[in-house]
Amino acid sequence: MNHSPFSFAFLQGAITPTHIAEIVQQNAAMLTLGAHSLFLGQVRADEKENGSITAIEYTCYAEMATAQIQKIITLHSTQYALKSVFIYHSIGTVAIGEICLCVAVGAAHRKEAIEACQSIVESIKKEVPIWGREIINESTSIWKTNHFSSSQ
Amino acid sequence: MNRHKIIAFGIIAEKIGKTEFYLENIATTQALKEKLYNQYPFLQTLTFSIAIDHEILQEELTLEENQEIALLPPFSGG
Repeated sequence: MNHSPFSFAFLQGAITPTHIAEIVQQNAAMLTLGAHSLFLGQVRADEKENGSITAIEYTCYAEMATAQIQKIITLHSTQYALKSVFIYHSIGTVAIGEICLCVAVGAAHRKEAIEACQSIVESIKKEVPIWGREIINESTSIWKTNHFSSSQ
Repeated sequence: MNRHKIIAFGIIAEKIGKTEFYLENIATTQALKEKLYNQYPFLQTLTFSIAIDHEILQEELTLEENQEIALLPPFSGG
């Protein structure tokens, strides 16, 4: 694991509970940190016209995505005085029920942690060149679309 | 003569059937778009962004040698 408290990685396939536990462990060494805010995105078995989703296959424009996420981390770290930010996004296939996005924010107090976490998740969905293809079965898939209404 | 490598992602790569191709003699981003719409008419009905060296194009520019041009459909990470 990267030992910078501000880090991002693409992971092949699902993000595991072990990855998330390691973040909590790493924050334990930061004695000015008083609040963790954690967002986990999980692949839903949404019903579509031709059946229900069984997995999402993620692709990205790696160099640009990495640069965009680093910008998002820098911006939020400054704005919210964050102590740590760990971001994982899956690449490749993630099955329903598995985790595809992890945003873990550490701050001195809850308000900064919660607000920054929410804003980072929104920024990732809007500003980072990653694409999800929702797999129904071997011959059917749909390009995922992100929505930005209050229900998302 | 200039020659630019164009890389495509997501639904654009799927529809054109490749992830990269080359266009010749495009001096500006306007010329790039005209050539793209001419070669791949479906792009006129699709929402997409163009990134030049990892920056989303906000205003029309003169293209330079060795710039990385990318065609990006709406992002759907997370």
